[in-house]
Amino acid sequence: MTIPQAAYKVLEAIVGPDYISQDPIDCEAHTPGPNGFETDLGVATILKSPGCVIFPSTTEEVQKIVKTCNRYKVPFIPISTQWWSGRGAAKVEDALMIDLKRMDQCDIDDKHMFAVVGSGLIYSQLQEEAMKRGLYTTIPGGGSQVGVVANHILYGSSPLNYRTCIANRRILGVEWVLPDGEILRLGSCALDKDDYLWGEGIGPDLRGMIRGFSPGWMGSMGIVTKMSVKLVPFQPDKPMPVGISPDTAVELPLKRINWYNFILPSKDALVKAMYEIANAEIGAGLTKVPLFWRAIAKANNKEEFWELWDQESEETVAAMNVLRVLLIGFTSEKQLEYEERVLQDIIVKDLGGKQTRTKPTDESWVKNADSASMWMMCGGYTSLEFDFEAISHAVAKGVDCSKLKKGYTPPLMKAYGDQGWFQVGDYGHLALFEFLTYQDPDDEQKHKVDEWSVALSKMNIENRYYTAQLASHKPLFLTGPAYGPDYHKWMIKFKEEFDPDALSNPPGPADTDLFIQEAEWMQKVKDWPAPKIDANKNPKFE
Amino acid sequence: MPEEYVKFDLTDMKNFEYDMKRCVRCKGCKWVDHIYMPGATYSTRCPSEKRYLFDSFSAWGRLRLALSLLNGRIEFNDRFVEAIYKCQLCGACDAGCKRNLDLEIGSALESLRIKCVADGFGPMPEHKAIAEKIEKEHNVFGGPADNRDKWAKGIQTDDKAEFVYFVGCYGSYKMQGIPKATANILKATGQSFKIMGSDEYCCGYPLYSTGQIEKAKKVAQHNIDTIAKSGAKTVITACAECYKTLKVDYPKMFNKSTSDMGYQVIHLVEFVADQMEKGTIKFKNNIDMRVTYHDACNLARMSEPWVYWEGKRKLYGITEPTAPRRKGTHGVYHQPRNILKAIPGIDYVDMIRIRENAWCCGAGGGVAEAFPEFAQWSAEERLEEVDEVGAAALITACPRCKDNFSKAINASGDNIKVMDIAEMINEAIK
Amino acid sequence: MDLKNELQKIVGAGNVLDSPEILEEYSTDNGIYPPGMPTVVVKAGKSEDVAKVINLANKNSTPVIPVSSGVHFQGCTIPYQGGIVLDLSNLNKILEIDPPNRRVRIEPGVTWGQITDELAKENIRVISPLLPHADRSVITDYLEREAPVVPKYEFAEPLMTYEIVWPNGEVFRTGSASVPGYPDSPAKGTNPAGPGLDFYRLPQGAQGTMGVINWANLKLEYLPKINKIFFMPFEDINAAIEPIYKIPRVHIGQEFFLLNHVDLALILAKQWPDDYDRLSDILPSWTLILTISGPPRRPEERIEYEKEALFDLKKQYFQDMPILEALPGVPGGGRELIHMLRKPWPKEEVYWKNRLSGACQSLFFIARPEDAPSFYEKVVDEAPKYGYPLEDLGVYLQPIEQSRVCHLEFNMFYDPDDPIEREKIRIMNRELAQDLLDMGAIFTRPYGDLADMVYEKATSYTTALKRVKKMFDPNNIMNPGRLCF
Repeated sequence: MTIPQAAYKVLEAIVGPDYISQDPIDCEAHTPGPNGFETDLGVATILKSPGCVIFPSTTEEVQKIVKTCNRYKVPFIPISTQWWSGRGAAKVEDALMIDLKRMDQCDIDDKHMFAVVGSGLIYSQLQEEAMKRGLYTTIPGGGSQVGVVANHILYGSSPLNYRTCIANRRILGVEWVLPDGEILRLGSCALDKDDYLWGEGIGPDLRGMIRGFSPGWMGSMGIVTKMSVKLVPFQPDKPMPVGISPDTAVELPLKRINWYNFILPSKDALVKAMYEIANAEIGAGLTKVPLFWRAIAKANNKEEFWELWDQESEETVAAMNVLRVLLIGFTSEKQLEYEERVLQDIIVKDLGGKQTRTKPTDESWVKNADSASMWMMCGGYTSLEFDFEAISHAVAKGVDCSKLKKGYTPPLMKAYGDQGWFQVGDYGHLALFEFLTYQDPDDEQKHKVDEWSVALSKMNIENRYYTAQLASHKPLFLTGPAYGPDYHKWMIKFKEEFDPDALSNPPGPADTDLFIQEAEWMQKVKDWPAPKIDANKNPKFE
Repeated sequence: MPEEYVKFDLTDMKNFEYDMKRCVRCKGCKWVDHIYMPGATYSTRCPSEKRYLFDSFSAWGRLRLALSLLNGRIEFNDRFVEAIYKCQLCGACDAGCKRNLDLEIGSALESLRIKCVADGFGPMPEHKAIAEKIEKEHNVFGGPADNRDKWAKGIQTDDKAEFVYFVGCYGSYKMQGIPKATANILKATGQSFKIMGSDEYCCGYPLYSTGQIEKAKKVAQHNIDTIAKSGAKTVITACAECYKTLKVDYPKMFNKSTSDMGYQVIHLVEFVADQMEKGTIKFKNNIDMRVTYHDACNLARMSEPWVYWEGKRKLYGITEPTAPRRKGTHGVYHQPRNILKAIPGIDYVDMIRIRENAWCCGAGGGVAEAFPEFAQWSAEERLEEVDEVGAAALITACPRCKDNFSKAINASGDNIKVMDIAEMINEAIK
Repeated sequence: MDLKNELQKIVGAGNVLDSPEILEEYSTDNGIYPPGMPTVVVKAGKSEDVAKVINLANKNSTPVIPVSSGVHFQGCTIPYQGGIVLDLSNLNKILEIDPPNRRVRIEPGVTWGQITDELAKENIRVISPLLPHADRSVITDYLEREAPVVPKYEFAEPLMTYEIVWPNGEVFRTGSASVPGYPDSPAKGTNPAGPGLDFYRLPQGAQGTMGVINWANLKLEYLPKINKIFFMPFEDINAAIEPIYKIPRVHIGQEFFLLNHVDLALILAKQWPDDYDRLSDILPSWTLILTISGPPRRPEERIEYEKEALFDLKKQYFQDMPILEALPGVPGGGRELIHMLRKPWPKEEVYWKNRLSGACQSLFFIARPEDAPSFYEKVVDEAPKYGYPLEDLGVYLQPIEQSRVCHLEFNMFYDPDDPIEREKIRIMNRELAQDLLDMGAIFTRPYGDLADMVYEKATSYTTALKRVKKMFDPNNIMNPGRLCF
């Protein structure tokens, strides 16, 4: 379980002996699981321990490492925070794990509102640096601990995308080591490697090829070593942290930022409120959260959560149409006052909603997002269905997901018909929909969760829903012919062109196809044609 | 339906298998609480992971290794043992995890050390040497046991007092200014106290923290018995390590709760803060200095009482009865700060990483003994933070922290002054 | 069967044109570049025709040059290698207007003139570039990444999804329009990203080299009913820079841009040429123009707090900067600009950029607003060397996304019927571009002569682009000779 020793010597010379190891202990420690994002699902059965771990500190080192991998045909997988742990591991033996955590640069251009960040930098770091300068980024649902670069490559969704668009559209200049070790720079850095101001072009824009949507190439199209990301103007009063763990929050400058909670008389009214608020162009966040999150917020531990959640029923869940609205006075305190009045007009006067109490603090979204607490309730959690589409799409899909879920509960946690999380983006042009999956990873029926994942794909195709769960995260050869159509053919063409030896995190983007091929329990649901996947090669059409 | 019977018994790693399995690698164990994240620098709180990078030197990696050991995927070897012991057991990971996930990381890591020793692979040779000194002379330095109360010459103690002052090895043998200052403070408030003299053994922290639980239990039992015999109900200490060991680790070793121990442990700063409220202590001297305070891990995030638990873990990991969780919320955080702020002339400034997010001085968990270079590196990182906030003096409430910082300052030639808080209080009340 | 016959089978005989007059018509555009004769012109009547034509072109290795509306200024539709000009102007249907989801789906032949009036009926609009030509294709403008005149939206990028025929003839829908059965689906096509890759960016800035769009979804915004306009005059461009950064950053206003007196006079002049002569004399050297508008709810209150914030900024940072509600000496104070900005340039009038001399060469790029004065100085230094009169130099600075960058445009006017003048402008355009490129101008969409110099500077990007292009266009049929292809 090692890489070729000749390769090891070259790699050691590149980074120095303190930054590389092939000791089985270090390799074992770098193997994610058994729990984590997707690591408690069947797909984890194809994950392998790396044969070697290396920590480069510069783009030049990354380039030399990748070139060495090409010379000795060593497959490699880049990781930054490895938060998406179900994918942050090799799917082939004897791979080199390239851990980018040392590359944590953060240089902010206040005036032109962008940050040049290295792959190791995380969101809370960036947010703090941005807010010191009167700017902000949006903390994604993945959590404030996720890598800024990786998350921008993936999706980067947050309630604060209401104004800012999802993070993947906020990528500017990029420095990218291709699978063959060549450095490609995008946007203004294509012209001047030190100018990260702008992202477009030159001419046709290759930013879309780098990131892949969704959920991106996940390391199978080389390594992004540096990226400039947009920051957006904030209001002048920096929210300050208060409290002691676990009850910490930022105190909001209430004349400038405030959350508002409303209960609407019906789901229709809630949806109408979303459209109206967005059309009025007020607000900075607009979200309808799954009801069990309220129980999470109230509970001090999982036992308390279950005490609360067990009191719910289909009726109580259906009756709770809670809309959370974030207002920010970007322009002035008067903006906030104005937006409060418009909000009252829409929700209270027009739609008969009632305002409920909110804390004068923010635990999630302004500075922090506790994605880790999603594992608190059941021990297992994954987001197996989400997308960005119209508000009406989110509403319809929530109903269908909820119906489908019943057939997989248990092992899925009972949700009393909860229809998912949806929130508004781009002032109403878009909505994020997310349907969260919770289960006990030790449940003897856990393979049904894998079946549920495929069933969701089939439902999306059948009912013509969009989904962010494509490529490596749902069967490529099931979803490929349906979307685009044939988006998968293009992905495979890209792999063949830029990574013909399949060294960059193989067999991406066909990871899930490999898992389904290998897992005995998946054969009963696999009813679509697919070629045989070889873990060490790019997928081929038969 | 998954169901198992478990208990907070650290001598069996299986009791913490759930915690090992449920780590999601959010790295809350590494990062400063994101709410308090100070920016691109000073953003982590685990010295081991920052210094050595490899996941084997992080909480999440060690949990994985412990689980793989339980599952038979790996065995102990030199690298594994190195990874286990290059860790201060500073509790940052445990407090960080319990912000969201309530996993018993601290206990799992301690349990791993206990197994490492039980299987004959640990501790490090330096830890064994200290164990021998403790066995022979009951202190970490190997100084004559009879010299333990030499510092107290001329100090008035009271054998009938309900307070027993547990001095600790560092105070007794190396930093006698601290116990002298402590005694002065107690005297100034009119609080009578006694000491245990040569009957005070090393608290056992160097043994327990390195996995030598059987040896630790012996000294613990001796100290427990001595305290009981003395009739004292309150043990006061000016050492964070002694404080946490007597308060938390003693009951833990014997599968008891802190409340079952028959004595209460308080740190000098708790006592002084209480006296300030009562008005029985006055800070008369002006101390014109910009100072900052270092949260000693054992007094801060790791100091909450231990509550023994056993019971069922059911579907979704629900415990029955509900397992107690020590989240680091109720550490001794405010008292030392309030004291320092009350001293006239002091310009108090907090460091960037404080309380549950504090960066360890680097000495704990046997690191100072076995890996002094790592201990110094960790101290230097903290001293940079002192510089960053412009403090002239760094105040601690633990002789081990003071010792480690002093070594780093001596090596670097920096002019930061390091003082124990007892010494500072003593200066203020003179 | 020859190419013409094959094409006739696809689009019908009446839509395959190869008379010399027609070919001549399609051999040029409104710009400085010399003509190039197509082999044949095909007018697509329905979107299915497009793929068929492209498949045929692939079979015959014949170039295909897509032309949307016929209003082009930068030479990218001139068929230098002959081939099929694929005219999309008959694909001009507004396919869907979806006010709740604030989206419109249109074909590539839909023009600004057409869409603006249609949407205004529902009090909605597509945010446009500055005073676009009424006959210009809406899709083309945003495929070519023209800068919207409203920099207030953080999310920017009006274009969402589209159906594209790749150069290899395959039809593909991008983003969420990729769902099976679209548009008969709950998915509305509002998410640009995906599927699998972000295909939507690839045809942008591509000058028709990466495929042909059959239809696209664009974002709609409300059409404000109540508005105010403010003019901030400057004699020195340097003084305008801080307001350019500060005003949009606190979310004040809708349309916001800087014009010099030449461009502003061209826009405001009613009676040609008298008004122009007078205005270009009396207008300040530079005018920063800001509109503040009310949204559908409580519009007056919104205008009030934004206006107050604007004057607070002035008090704090730019006390000497006048903020005028009317331009002195201008009939109506220039207030009619509010309404002009919400529409394309009137069809019945000569296009504003062509008013002065009949044609205009625009040299534009992305820049930091703070660098605009030095770029301007460079042009001022250099232009006279080409015999270009500085009093005829138009300058337009369009802040993008709260002024994180700007689109900086130099407008050089010339007589299109004077070949010498045209060539002089071409040389000046090329050489100025080189100077500005050396100074750090970011030419993200290099047209014509600029392509070589820009791609030469971006070697690794050029190599990668060529590899990608080859995947999508193995026979290099799609508008060959453009960019680096």
